[in-house]
Amino acid sequence: MSTQTQSPSITLDYVKTIGIVNNGLNGRGFANPYDTAVDGDGRIYVLNRCDPARASAIRVGICTIDEEYLGEFGRGNGAGDGQFVWVVAMALAGDGRLFITDEYNHRVTIYNTSGAYLSHWGVPGSGDGELNGPAGIAIDSSGNVIVVDQHNARIQKFSADGKLIAIWGSFGSGEGQFNLPWGVAVDQHDNVYVCDWRNDRIQKFTNDGEFLAVFGESGHGEGQFQRPTSVAIDPEGFIYVADWGNERVQVLGPDGSFQLLLRGQATASKWAEDYFASNPEEKAERDVANLHPDLPAHLNTPYHISSQTEPFFWGPVSVSLDHQGRLYVAETNRHRFQVYQKR
Amino acid sequence: MISNDTALMAHLLRRAGFGASRDELERYLEMGYDGAVEALLNPSDPGNMPDDLIRRYHVEQSELRDLAGSAAYWMYRMISTSSPMEEKIALFYHSLFATGYAKLNQARCLLNQVDMFRRSGLESFEDLLLELSKDPAMILWLDNNENHGTAVNENYGRELLELFSMGIGNYTEDDVKECARAFTGWTLGNAEYMSIRAAKDSIWPYGRIAWHFEYRDEDHDDGEKTFLGETGRFNGEEIIAIIVKQESTARFLATRLFQFFAADEVTKAGEQVINEMMATYFSSGYQVRGMLRTLFHSDHFKSEDARFTRVKAPAEMVVGAIRMAGKYQNPVLGIEKVSNTMLYMGQGLLQPPSVEGWHEGLEWINSGALVERVNFAAKELSDVKSPGVRSIINRLESSSEGGVLDPADLADGCLDLLGPIQVSDETRSVLVNYAARNGDLDLNGHQPGDEAEQRVGNMLRLVAATKEYQLA
Amino acid sequence: MTTTNREKSLIVIQLTGGNDYLNTVVPYGDGHYYDNRSTVNIPQEKVIPIDGKVGFNPSMGPIKSLWDEGKVAVINGIGYQTPNRSHFRSMDIWHTAEPDAIGREGWLGRAIRDFDPQGENVLTGINFGRGLPRSLACQGVSVASVGDLATYGLFPDVQDEELRMFTLEAFSMMYGGAAGRDPVLNFLGQTGQDALQGADILRTAPAMYSSSVEYAPDSLSQNVKSISQVFHADLGARILYTTHASFDTHSGELQTHAKLWDEVSGAVGSLMDDLKEHDREKDAAILIFSEFGRRIKDNGSGSDHGSGGVAFLIGGAVDGGMYGEYPSLAEAEQLEGDLRSNNDFRSVYTDILEDWMGLDAAPIVNGQFEKLNLFRA
Repeated sequence: MSTQTQSPSITLDYVKTIGIVNNGLNGRGFANPYDTAVDGDGRIYVLNRCDPARASAIRVGICTIDEEYLGEFGRGNGAGDGQFVWVVAMALAGDGRLFITDEYNHRVTIYNTSGAYLSHWGVPGSGDGELNGPAGIAIDSSGNVIVVDQHNARIQKFSADGKLIAIWGSFGSGEGQFNLPWGVAVDQHDNVYVCDWRNDRIQKFTNDGEFLAVFGESGHGEGQFQRPTSVAIDPEGFIYVADWGNERVQVLGPDGSFQLLLRGQATASKWAEDYFASNPEEKAERDVANLHPDLPAHLNTPYHISSQTEPFFWGPVSVSLDHQGRLYVAETNRHRFQVYQKR
Repeated sequence: MISNDTALMAHLLRRAGFGASRDELERYLEMGYDGAVEALLNPSDPGNMPDDLIRRYHVEQSELRDLAGSAAYWMYRMISTSSPMEEKIALFYHSLFATGYAKLNQARCLLNQVDMFRRSGLESFEDLLLELSKDPAMILWLDNNENHGTAVNENYGRELLELFSMGIGNYTEDDVKECARAFTGWTLGNAEYMSIRAAKDSIWPYGRIAWHFEYRDEDHDDGEKTFLGETGRFNGEEIIAIIVKQESTARFLATRLFQFFAADEVTKAGEQVINEMMATYFSSGYQVRGMLRTLFHSDHFKSEDARFTRVKAPAEMVVGAIRMAGKYQNPVLGIEKVSNTMLYMGQGLLQPPSVEGWHEGLEWINSGALVERVNFAAKELSDVKSPGVRSIINRLESSSEGGVLDPADLADGCLDLLGPIQVSDETRSVLVNYAARNGDLDLNGHQPGDEAEQRVGNMLRLVAATKEYQLA
Repeated sequence: MTTTNREKSLIVIQLTGGNDYLNTVVPYGDGHYYDNRSTVNIPQEKVIPIDGKVGFNPSMGPIKSLWDEGKVAVINGIGYQTPNRSHFRSMDIWHTAEPDAIGREGWLGRAIRDFDPQGENVLTGINFGRGLPRSLACQGVSVASVGDLATYGLFPDVQDEELRMFTLEAFSMMYGGAAGRDPVLNFLGQTGQDALQGADILRTAPAMYSSSVEYAPDSLSQNVKSISQVFHADLGARILYTTHASFDTHSGELQTHAKLWDEVSGAVGSLMDDLKEHDREKDAAILIFSEFGRRIKDNGSGSDHGSGGVAFLIGGAVDGGMYGEYPSLAEAEQLEGDLRSNNDFRSVYTDILEDWMGLDAAPIVNGQFEKLNLFRA
């Protein structure tokens, strides 16, 4: 159900939904996913933020596009090596290292894709190389690690072995300034795109932090954003944005022009089908229910609509791309991700 | 000496709010009593903690699926709002029209109901009952989704009369039946699917789906009904219009408002105020705001007799202490542990024990609950790092002579700045004796967290532990 | 206050979240079990056999030992007529013994009131954990809720012990003064004194107890250790309650469920050893229950909310054995995909209240229920 204006030069086809709410501390399903990453073998890593009741749950789940659940890893809740409190985002390096930000522990924790803990970077603070609430994270073509240093309102770029290379940004709403920035991504040319969350815009920089462009403004219309959380750029330069506050995904052209938006069209995952198989009476009622209801006026906000419309994105917090032109949209409040294919 | 203006304003803010720090109290004093009443009764931008921040850091408060996170979400509102009356009136209806998580397993919809109380709670009682009858959480809570034209379920119809408006003894069993018939077909969207999910506590596969009202004309009994002596092909709207005309409804509502906002026990003087509130109810077209205005302006409410005549509800205890200490004004890890203390004290937000709500007054007090109450308030108010306590320390210093307080100054100063709180002579002498432990207190050159400051913290801890602090 | 030494006590371990009956007492001899539990099953060779048909979960070794000693009653197919599959509601039903209406009073709260109508011993009922389960809630009944026995009481956050004692003294004076004219302040004063007294007594319990039994470090074992300390201190505590969670195993069940039962079995085994060491085995009975069982068919990773479940009563005075039939797993016998309960939970309550605690059960459990004769005569 993508809305398209004029004639966009991009088309996204819905593929499937993967996930089910996980109510325990391990096993199949996700608990408030905050990010996804896909490796070269097509293994999908899902970063579970986890609500307080599941804070000690295993944090990174792994599955395949065919919905095979492969297991999970992590060392539980806390400040010890390999432990997490408030995980935000994840980036997979070419050498197989998985970088995970933790905005509570103020550090970046590194695992390998087999689930072995390697190390962590960062100490709390506002000095060079120090972190205060690290959020988005991305890796450029040289293997440099770009971290959104949220509460310090800046971007820090580190080499693959953790040496600080560059810092830019300050608090504010001008060019090159940030207000609680979140997601970050790089394009084919290693330009850096930052979700300037509370300024409702995306800013584009060179790899060294020189301001290039700003996309979007506050609002609910096309090309406007409410608290964008995540951004991804495909090889052709199309910009995918998780327009979180508007409960949707928008795609912009390389020049920032609006192309299309997705509101979500989730269907039952394989794991959901398993649930229905053992709960047929619930399935029977579901089959005759209207999952796209019309709502009273006082509930006519994106948030309330999403809370009542199961196929729609609800808390679409992250957009990720794989090498086959697939888009993965993780939804915190629905414990799943929807997969789209670029045609 | 504490001026009577200050004491009266503090009284008003304990009732129409959650008590007030001295800074907040002074802002209201500038408005004068009448201005303060109007400001409280006409909530403007509540200026509470913004939803986007809460959702970013607290995923559980974005989804609002589980009870603990949802209760914490409401507590954030209570502790950060600049329109405390909005939260207080919502709390009032949350106990009056008590709807609980246990049967619904739907916290999001309970919070939508609380939103409705905020939005409509001070307006016309007729409109409020209409919204209540369309509230999806209420519909499922009292089985109105099972109230069909061909098979009447009386649960909502009965409680609407007994617990939500007129009170028992003012209508007949036939009125209950006719009332229930009028609400047939008032259900929620996807009622069958949602009720099976609620009954099974199903969050599968993708979390909860929130609910909304739906009217099913084909399921409504459109026949003639006789209700409280009037006859017609009544639908729910007409039934509510008849209910709100009744004197028993006016008395019920006025009494419940009085008990919540004025005193646990209704004295003779209280009876008189209730009568005045009933008169306002009719003259204003059932406006709740008008009734409360009458209450807050009554001589009885403003008299010293009305002060400290309510046992603080756990929500008032917890929120009042936090607001006084000025804590948790930004999203913080573990906030649900803080809001859970209300549950340990006997009042879990969103989980009233039954449709009758909480039994208030002395029933809040038992030894387990008292330990929780004292420990919580004592801990929050003895935290000298908190901005509220820092402000108290600074005020004590600047109001003292040369920065030195004798034991009586320290005890009285703390009683004043946490209220003012009136205490018995016995309590005061214990407090003064306690304050004398290390002689006079010299606050000159005090540094954050030093021994001098900690002595103020210790004093505040004991004041928070008095019997009198348990009362509003 | 009165101390009622060496009276019989009930220890309750509540398994919150819906314990999976089928993987606790496993009907491994029934082909339907493996048909329905194609993924989430206990392989036959791992089950600890009881007879040729059912056996215990492999994590229940210590309970099997107690079973062999004849001290474990397994109450099969426990539940109530129209099952409710919501955690909160079903737990409320178990707590209030009231399946058809919303009850306000907990069954154990009523029992405490019957034991001690004047509220003379504030420690008649104690919960170990924060908050108060509704089973213990009853108007006018004070129940201590002990989060941590070591720090239980007033002002636990005051580190300086001298300051804490000074503050407690002041509290005692403020709450202990002569009764005045204001009934509210008088009531507060009395309650404050009760709270102080309860805390003072409870704090003495650990010092009055010594044991060679080592409890495991998990939270349940630690709570059960506190229960043992208070029980052995003979403070007149008749009902000692704790909960363990979460048994809501919708996913990854085999791993989680095994860990949970390791903990439960370990805690129960330690407690029984402790009671034996103190020659008190016949003075305590342990009830283990959950709000419901789980679906017969698994969901590929775990199991969903069901109805008929299992409860255990364990103790030196318990007449061990199987009570009631294991409900049939055959499709025709199922209740909406669940086991059909065939033992009303209020029967078990009735046994406990009448034969163990010597109370009149009917007013507490809201009716007459046939007893199962769970205790040795």
